[in-house]
Amino acid sequence: MSHDITHDEMSHGHDHDHKPKGFVKRWLMTTNHKDIGTLYLIFAFAMFILGGAMAMIIRLELFQPGLQFVEPDFFNQMTTMHALIMVFGAVMPAFVGLANWMIPMMIGAPDMALPRMNNWSFWILPFAFTLLASTLFMEGGAPAGGWTMYPPLVLQGGHNVAYLVFAVHLMGISSIMGAINVIATIMNMRAPNVGYLNMPLFVWTWLITAFLLIAVMPVLAGAVTMLLTDRYFDTSFFSAAGGGDPVLFQHIFWFFGHPEVYIMILPAFGVVSEIIPTFARKPLFGYVSMVYATAGIAFLSFIVWAHHMFSVGMPLGGELYFMYATMMIAVPTGVKIFNWVATMWKGSMTFETPMLFSLAFVILFTIGGFSGVMMALAPVDLQYHDTYFIVAHFHYVLVTGAVFAIIAGAYYWLPKWSGHMYNERLGKIHFWWSTISVNVLFFPQHFLGLAGMPRRIPDYSTQFAEFNMWSSIGGFAFGLAQVFFIFIVWKTVRGGEKATAQVWEGAKGLEWTVPSPAPHHTFEEFGPVDLDKMAHGKTH
Amino acid sequence: MKYIIVILLLFIIFSLGSAMFYLVKGQGKSQNTVRFLTVRVTLSVLLFLFIILAAKMGWIETHVPQFLNP
Amino acid sequence: MSELSKDQYYVPHLAKWPIVGSIGLTVTVLGAINQLNSENPGTPWILYLGFATILLMMFGWFGEVIKESEDNLYNTQVDTSFRMGMIWFIFSEVMFFAAFFGALFYARNFSVPWLGGEGTGLSTNEVLYPGYEGVWPTNGPAEKGGRFEIIDPYHLPLVNTLLLLASSVTITIAHHALRANNRKQTVIWLIATVLLGATFLFYQVEEYIEAYTHLNLTLGSGIYGSTFFMLTGFHGMHVTLGAIMITIITIRVIRGHFKPESHFGFEAVAWYWHFVDVVWLGLFIFVYII
Repeated sequence: MSHDITHDEMSHGHDHDHKPKGFVKRWLMTTNHKDIGTLYLIFAFAMFILGGAMAMIIRLELFQPGLQFVEPDFFNQMTTMHALIMVFGAVMPAFVGLANWMIPMMIGAPDMALPRMNNWSFWILPFAFTLLASTLFMEGGAPAGGWTMYPPLVLQGGHNVAYLVFAVHLMGISSIMGAINVIATIMNMRAPNVGYLNMPLFVWTWLITAFLLIAVMPVLAGAVTMLLTDRYFDTSFFSAAGGGDPVLFQHIFWFFGHPEVYIMILPAFGVVSEIIPTFARKPLFGYVSMVYATAGIAFLSFIVWAHHMFSVGMPLGGELYFMYATMMIAVPTGVKIFNWVATMWKGSMTFETPMLFSLAFVILFTIGGFSGVMMALAPVDLQYHDTYFIVAHFHYVLVTGAVFAIIAGAYYWLPKWSGHMYNERLGKIHFWWSTISVNVLFFPQHFLGLAGMPRRIPDYSTQFAEFNMWSSIGGFAFGLAQVFFIFIVWKTVRGGEKATAQVWEGAKGLEWTVPSPAPHHTFEEFGPVDLDKMAHGKTH
Repeated sequence: MKYIIVILLLFIIFSLGSAMFYLVKGQGKSQNTVRFLTVRVTLSVLLFLFIILAAKMGWIETHVPQFLNP
Repeated sequence: MSELSKDQYYVPHLAKWPIVGSIGLTVTVLGAINQLNSENPGTPWILYLGFATILLMMFGWFGEVIKESEDNLYNTQVDTSFRMGMIWFIFSEVMFFAAFFGALFYARNFSVPWLGGEGTGLSTNEVLYPGYEGVWPTNGPAEKGGRFEIIDPYHLPLVNTLLLLASSVTITIAHHALRANNRKQTVIWLIATVLLGATFLFYQVEEYIEAYTHLNLTLGSGIYGSTFFMLTGFHGMHVTLGAIMITIITIRVIRGHFKPESHFGFEAVAWYWHFVDVVWLGLFIFVYII
């Protein structure tokens, strides 16, 4: 398959491309970073569709005021499950999948550092989500207290509380092991002449993300363990009558939750920082400042958590501190946006699909960032809190932010994975279809929120009807666009124009020095790599 | 007195962390891991003795639960 | 370490244990859920089956790794990967305990004083819980679980601190002995460590029995009981795990594994034991004494 393409020195002499035969050996028992990456990506896509289907139910119910299709309790189950599945099932595994595929190839490593554990981190996930999703078919239904699992509401969930807690535990174990693997790979498996400041930015952002994951996933595990004991073992962590405090849960949860949102966006920054220089045909502007900005965002993410809780009742000093600390995050983020724009400045740009999605990312993520700064102001947040404004905000940063970056990355690296070029025309259709519909979907929600429409409610007052209808129409169109995306990916994997090793004219990085599709094993022998092939190879 | 105890505990955690650092850095060849672990055990014994002394001298008091209803 | 394998990073092919581990975890969790949710839970067979599967996985997986290690398949780079895996795993453990210590800190410094009327809690206290003082240790304004007494820190806990500290000293002696390639000494001091750890666990169980039967201090004793039992309980689980690991290490030393200059398995376990001991010091100070 790959032998008709010229081997270069990286993969030469190892043409035994023997993949294990049979489904069980190839996929269930694999230790190969590329196969595991593929598994992660397929799993993430499946969860994206499942979570998306739940979003469709939500938008269907909200199409008109009044209750038409589903019961309020089922509606709440949908909002809760949609969030849990999208956060833990779609976005995070998708980025781990990209990390698995790309990091070893980007730093000249033969595989991930701990290949057996890599397999385990993936194979926990299908079990965890089966547990979680099974609650939908049980008496009492799925968890309906919101993905933030605030007590005492979530503890009223009946049988599903235990399923929820243990599913979160399993996801946490999987994430921690995945993150340990990423850190060990990056710190220990770089080719001998690749220094930290030669690494591609995607690798850098993942290094920092992995650190965040190991720091906060155990905290989430602790929080849900306390939920479990409060529910089943009569403890009083979150009950004021016993001397505890429900707000304690919110503090612990958001100590996890705020770094968690950066876990979902930092790798996206990395992907975009790979794509924009390629299509602007210029090196990334301010590489080192990008690294520092990423580290700065990661550090700040640990000390701002209570801005999710302005309306819960905190001492005034706390409100002020968390307000100012939060606004500081705009500084390193601004550095990043500036650098992306400066990279494009006077570049010789072309607009292939990955670039289009990255550009949309820069613009739309900035909108989401700005609404974030608005909500960082404690006094005005009291009005925005728990309205559709916050829904619009986090969907701008997560859908047009994280998800767009994942899609951009998928188009960008798909030729390297599959050996075929995708159809550029279909890709562009997918882009415009998604970008227009996603704005129709989420932009009106800003207005709904400012006008006071509360989130997580299946019915609403009639003055919100028109914007909601627009939003729903946008939602259905966006959902359909992603089904179209499956078709494009499927078509590309099955066949199409053969991709060259280089794929993109302006692309730099070690992954473009191996043939397309990338052989089963790359960089099997440790040795110096050609730093000229790396985007930042000669800079430091 | 509480603060002395807490500061000693911080020193112990620091030497434990240093041992962890050399666990990776030293590849098991250097003496640093075991040296820092020895430091941390010694400090712990000191802390323990200090706590006993503080309790004997009445510098720290044990808390007792208080109830509304007799 | 053989020079031949220096350049090749050992990548295992076909791992069969991870999927066994996933099934084991899932069965364990299902067993636990079943137990928690059923009206009259019987013997938790599903839970036992899950534990057995996980144990099987651990024996199989670690066995494979130990065999590969003794066959000299690992170069120093592989060794470093394992070391990194270990320290970052411990870091995740630290953060797990941090969540519970954080809960203790929050309860003692914020939620209990607020319930007692401090700061903005004044009206809460006067309207909802008049007369509640908010003094630690407490089981809350509702006096959940009824009146209780706390464990006297200068009896069993003091002995336990001494035991665990002594076990840290013995494992350090064993560590020095292994580096000096004195295997007999190593084994003796390792066995001493396990025995001290086991005695610690025995007294911990004694203490729990005492708390439940004589002091009316239970998991249901409000926030004090919750933090006390969860912190000491999770610590006890880690001591158990550490003691099992030391036992395995002892068997490996008897079988002639490890060399004075390369004994990562030993160092990792020793370090874990030190970590568990320091957590106990934290517990002894913040839960029992201060």
